[in-house]
Amino acid sequence: MSDIIRRDPRAEWIARNRLHPLHAAMQTAQTSWMGPNGIVRKNPHVVGFIGPNGLKRIDRSGAQQGGSGKRATASAVVQLPLHVIEQPAFYIAVVPDMIGGRLSSHDKDLLGLANKLAGSDGAVVAVVFGEHKETAFDTAGVDRLLQIEGELFEGYAPEQRVLALSAVESQLAPRHWLLPDSRTGGGELGRRLAAKLGERPATRVWQVAEGQCIGRAGAGREDLVRSAPRLILAAVECAEPVSDTRHEVRQVELLDQIARNLPRIEDLGAVAVDPALIPMAEAEFILSGGNGVKDWTQFHQAAAALGATEGASRVAVDDGFMPRNRQVGATGTWVTARVYMAVGISGAIQHLQGIGACDKVIAINLDPGCDMIKRADLSVIGDSAAILAALIERVTAYRQGGARDAA
Amino acid sequence: MLPDNLNIITLVSIGAHPTSGRARRAEQDARAVELGLRLAGDKLQVLHAGNPADEALRAYLGMGLSELTVLEQPSHGDALPLLNSYLKDAGAQLVLTGSQAETGEGSGMLPFLLAEQLGWPLVVGLAEVEKIENGMAQVLQALPRGQRRRLKVRLPFIACVDNAAPTARQSAFGPARRGQLQACEVAVVDDSLLVDAHFQPARPRPKRLKVIKAKTGAERMKAATAKAAGGGGQVLKDVSPQAGAEAIFKLLVEEGMLR
Amino acid sequence: MMLNTLLPILLFAALGLAVIGAGKRFLMWRRGRPAKVDWLGGLLAMPRRYLVDLHHVVERDKYMSKTHVATAGGFVLAAGLAILVHGFGLHSRILGYALLGACVLMFVGALFVAKRRLDPPARLSKGPWMRLPKSLLMFAVSFFIATLPVAGILPEGFGGWMLAVLLAVGVAWGVSELFFGMTWGGPMKHAFAGALHLAWHRRSERFGGGRSTGLKALNLDDRTAPLGVEKPRDFTWNQLLGFDACVQCGKCEAVCPAFAAGQPLNPKKLIQDMVVGLAGGTDAKFAGSPYPGQAIGEHSGAPHLPIVNLNGKALVDAETLWSCTTCRACVEECPMMIEHVDAIVDMRRHLTLEKGATPNKGAEVLDNLIATDNPGGFAPGGRLNWAADLNLPLMSEKKSVDVLFWVGDGAFDMRNQRTLRAFVKVLKAANVDFAVLGLEERDSGDVARRLGDEATFQTLAKRNIASMSQYQFNKIVSCDPHSFHVLKNEYGELGGHYQVLHHSTYMDELISADKLNLGQHKGGSVTYHDPCYLGRYNGEYEAPRAVLKAIGIEVREMERSGFRSRCCGGGGGAPITDIPGKQRIPDMRMVDIQETGAELVAVGCPQCTAMLEGVVEPRPQIKDIAELVADVLLEAPAPAKKPVPTKPEALEVH
Repeated sequence: MSDIIRRDPRAEWIARNRLHPLHAAMQTAQTSWMGPNGIVRKNPHVVGFIGPNGLKRIDRSGAQQGGSGKRATASAVVQLPLHVIEQPAFYIAVVPDMIGGRLSSHDKDLLGLANKLAGSDGAVVAVVFGEHKETAFDTAGVDRLLQIEGELFEGYAPEQRVLALSAVESQLAPRHWLLPDSRTGGGELGRRLAAKLGERPATRVWQVAEGQCIGRAGAGREDLVRSAPRLILAAVECAEPVSDTRHEVRQVELLDQIARNLPRIEDLGAVAVDPALIPMAEAEFILSGGNGVKDWTQFHQAAAALGATEGASRVAVDDGFMPRNRQVGATGTWVTARVYMAVGISGAIQHLQGIGACDKVIAINLDPGCDMIKRADLSVIGDSAAILAALIERVTAYRQGGARDAA
Repeated sequence: MLPDNLNIITLVSIGAHPTSGRARRAEQDARAVELGLRLAGDKLQVLHAGNPADEALRAYLGMGLSELTVLEQPSHGDALPLLNSYLKDAGAQLVLTGSQAETGEGSGMLPFLLAEQLGWPLVVGLAEVEKIENGMAQVLQALPRGQRRRLKVRLPFIACVDNAAPTARQSAFGPARRGQLQACEVAVVDDSLLVDAHFQPARPRPKRLKVIKAKTGAERMKAATAKAAGGGGQVLKDVSPQAGAEAIFKLLVEEGMLR
Repeated sequence: MMLNTLLPILLFAALGLAVIGAGKRFLMWRRGRPAKVDWLGGLLAMPRRYLVDLHHVVERDKYMSKTHVATAGGFVLAAGLAILVHGFGLHSRILGYALLGACVLMFVGALFVAKRRLDPPARLSKGPWMRLPKSLLMFAVSFFIATLPVAGILPEGFGGWMLAVLLAVGVAWGVSELFFGMTWGGPMKHAFAGALHLAWHRRSERFGGGRSTGLKALNLDDRTAPLGVEKPRDFTWNQLLGFDACVQCGKCEAVCPAFAAGQPLNPKKLIQDMVVGLAGGTDAKFAGSPYPGQAIGEHSGAPHLPIVNLNGKALVDAETLWSCTTCRACVEECPMMIEHVDAIVDMRRHLTLEKGATPNKGAEVLDNLIATDNPGGFAPGGRLNWAADLNLPLMSEKKSVDVLFWVGDGAFDMRNQRTLRAFVKVLKAANVDFAVLGLEERDSGDVARRLGDEATFQTLAKRNIASMSQYQFNKIVSCDPHSFHVLKNEYGELGGHYQVLHHSTYMDELISADKLNLGQHKGGSVTYHDPCYLGRYNGEYEAPRAVLKAIGIEVREMERSGFRSRCCGGGGGAPITDIPGKQRIPDMRMVDIQETGAELVAVGCPQCTAMLEGVVEPRPQIKDIAELVADVLLEAPAPAKKPVPTKPEALEVH
């Protein structure tokens, strides 16, 4: 947004008009409030603005509030209208992944799709296993919340969860089942449910409209168009998440007991994986070293301190500092890390190609003109050894601080 | 760790290369064959439902298989009943498959349906079989981002592998040419899906735009004229190493990389 | 007289044993697979091949050439005369003097051999080879003294039995090394096997100034033929014979880029290992430089045992075979004209086609070639994207043109696209009637073939030949020496015969015909790097230099240029198989370049460009010849007469 302050007559009008629903949002920072002793306090510094001649002006015409660039529109919490479904004509059941106990963005897209399918008569029921930490079920579009708790459902228990979902099926008979087609549980659970219910699901669905759904087929070179089945496994961004309504999140209970089966698959727990051994293509956080790294011992220390997977440029591999399977780039591994930290890598075109899918790139380099800096979201120009040393120190301090807090 | 007389069957399909679409061995199925070969060696059985004359099947033979059994059926057939009846009597302890086919529907349902019909447990994302003893297998399951979970599962079971399983060995021309494709005549069951569904070339999905729910004209204007996010990143020049490290640290914390 | 009876016995005994040894050796070679040779014609051509073709190679080392002429010439003469004089007792004075002369000649030669052995360079094998000059001297001296009475210089019976015994011992030593040792595996084996190798060489075209560098095709229709070489006996018998001809001079070792880079390859050791395989045994007796990083004495083999054991040690490790860049420097230097590259590719064929053991990215590249017709796995439909704005004429539209521009897989590489665009600019400036195959073009198959995947090579080649057979053109021009070589020399066996030119040759033709209006190159000094597949493989050293000269560049030659040019490390799939060494080949080449002080290096190959540009800066700039020419193109059309698009003579292409 440009820095030029423009007059916005409409905004000014709203700022003057106390009856306008957005009136509050148009007011700038608080200028007066009730003090601790019951006396109204005013902050004269907030009122007014510096005029073109450098003099402070107080203008009560509304232009000041309405025209100021510092308007706090977004921060105003607008109470969204509540969407109430008293007697649902039908249910749309959604089983969100709930990674870390919260709705993921994929889950929210899915709830958006569910609301689209529910229209104004149906109710969206979210089936959640175990404890959750989510506080925004209402704005995400959950009309009914069905929590299934119990030891049986904890950890990795897909077979038991499917039994629970079958119980939901017999109680609510939802018109559609929606699950995220994800690797974090939804894809598997959905297919297990499909096999159990004998429904042929539509998978990797990215569009549902007018009773038709379109999903990716095969290796992704074709789309399959079919009438929307009962069970839909939807891809990321299958629909816009709910954004302009609030929902009741009314609790629903399962009436029947869930059948118990003898677990045929026993979860022995997560296996500690050394970040250094994670395949490069899958690693989430990569610390990559190149020609500019002079102290490789320190580089390895930094990777250990940060908990990052190590990568390298072609030159570093050629020079024998790193093994070949750590090479990042078009001729090495194409990586998909969320954060890619390039130390002393100038950024050959093949290397930049290989990190094309990375979210955030951090560069540490001596040369401010190199291509990696152009690609990076954050660059620090300077001696990599000194910066890494400072970073190791900072992270170690943070870790120790964290340990103290936990204690 | 592994008993000698493991009876393992790997199910394979015809794949398609992601850029050219040319028929090939399917990536994940080949990984399933690889895993099978590592577990059972020469005794691995490989099974395909389809056309026994398909040259792409030879790419599996090229991995060192002496033969590959093909349940003969036309391309519109439903492989499930054929595989089900075959596996029922095959006496396998472990059936390996890929996660989804590279051609056709590719819903990835086949292992789930087979497991349901056979009444066997199913392991998704098998990365490694650690040991098999007393009718139980201890396996590692692949989770996203290189994480692993250890599971204990009762034999016999079905497992599908994804890209976390070991990379398939190279398919060599000599064994591919020598290997035998054993065709089995079976009753054909048509797939009902294609009655109401049709395929179309994949439409590229546009990147989701930042939709701004504008309540007012001003906001709409703001949204429309807003500079695209991105462009050059932040560059810290002439700062002390500590200041630089602090900036990096902040970003790492924001991204949740420091755990 | 004792000597008169003893000498014939010694001579004929040694000769007899030599003949038996020869028979045994011959049967050993014949364990290999059959090969078609011209038995008699080869033998008849042998002296000329030896005295002319081989001499050209040896002559590069003047010292050794003169030494060898004296020693070998003296020996052959002396041996022949000794058999007449001492064997058959023809005691003629003239023959005596002739024999004395021959002995002196041989003695002088042997002295120089001995001199070089005083402080031998690392490339020479030691062991029995250190004995050879002594044996040669002993032979010459013994026969000299033994012949003095024949020539009448000394009286008969001079020196009494003492001298006679000494001479007998000397002659016995001499003839056992030089006659009997020749066929029983001594250093002199090279003379016997070498002569026959020249007679029945697998590439007889190389003699008489010819050139034969294309790999030979496997017959894939013959299901019984082995796919490549697994065991020594899977080589053709004349290949085995060729290995036996090795003199262990180490010229190959001295020029091998992989050896210099510390990769586990030494061409001389490889050939000697093949000899071990052919006869059976271990490499413990090898007395030269080992494969870098590998100890001697741990490998062994036999004719019927696999050469490579992927899970342990056999005769040769797979890494050795995959280190080769197929630059042909060893073959070019070899005074015995041994074909190292053929042998290496034969063994690679087995590893790829039978074992599926192409290392590192090899398997992926081959899969990509099968599925997408290019090694990078790019969507085949994007092959012409680089030229989206150039409005290139397509063969499918024009049907008949003068020049078919073979683009190559560089079409997918952003760096190489600059070269391609530059060359198109030149073609357009010269009003050349050209077209490209566009999406009908596929990888030439070079990489697949050199990685040992003959099946994929033949598939690609046949499909390319089929595409081209639909159209008429006079010649093919390519910016990629690898495609150029394969199209020119390796498609013939599969039915594709074309006139193929490298773009530097074609630009040279255009410049000579005054079709280009060129300015002068501005900027610093320039050196030129000869691509292996253009130079050594196809003998084109002049045209690129002529083109550079035409745009005002005086090439600062590197010490290793022309036929001695050092490889960039990019050939033979070496960057794909990526066998680690102590240093990188392109880095070494860049040192060569920097030694000239040039600011820019002109190249004519996308592989060389990629490899050299991969060297860490600061380093000289790298530019393709086409880019240099395009840079100095003057806008105004050439003043030459308006180029009439000459109607190409219809050339049937199959």
